[in-house]
Amino acid sequence: MKIFYKFVTAATALSILSVLLIPGVDDAVEGLFQLFVLFVSR
Amino acid sequence: MKFMFRSLVIVLCLLIIPISAVVTAAIKQRFEDGPNRVFAGGPLISGPIYKGVEPDWEFVNTIDTLELQLVDPPLSRRIWVASAQGRLFIWSGYMNSLVGQLWKTWPAQANADGRALLRIDGIRYERNLLRLINDPVFEELSTVVSEKYPSHFTRDSVERGDVWVFEAKPKTPLNHQIVRGS
Repeated sequence: MKIFYKFVTAATALSILSVLLIPGVDDAVEGLFQLFVLFVSR
Repeated sequence: MKFMFRSLVIVLCLLIIPISAVVTAAIKQRFEDGPNRVFAGGPLISGPIYKGVEPDWEFVNTIDTLELQLVDPPLSRRIWVASAQGRLFIWSGYMNSLVGQLWKTWPAQANADGRALLRIDGIRYERNLLRLINDPVFEELSTVVSEKYPSHFTRDSVERGDVWVFEAKPKTPLNHQIVRGS
């Protein structure tokens, strides 16, 4: 379980940094979120 | 029981990863020049301010959305738009639902202070948003809106308060208002 928590922490940090630093990732995340909202609201 | 608890912890932990990405993207957009598709953006900075005679707003019926920024608070969002009788209208639905009351904050803000900036095709227009509750233009406007969007825009829905309609009127200079005594 300890390794799992380390994995989640690293993955969360990586996701935040990639959204902040890599161009286009924020747009892709927003697109996926939009699809999720459309799917849930149907 | 322990297995169930552990499974729940694992699922919640895994959900943190996409949620943190979405929240970060939403916060990042607040510092950008304008909104993206879903997330609100910062103030509309780029683009010339339109100076000239009142445009023929019929052209907005051929575009999907415009960017709207209120002066207070200086946040922008992407919204639907329509024109009828040469006048420019924006609106917000779901206003009587719980989701609408939690999600839609700009209509109440615009009702309190209607000063706004619209950006259409890269050009910024200074306008004053005025909420309309009953207006003969609603018949024509509902036809235009229903042809353009999957929206439940009717005269009844506006009068019930389900839909808040704003006319984007020309910005009136403050000294002009003082001279007129309004």
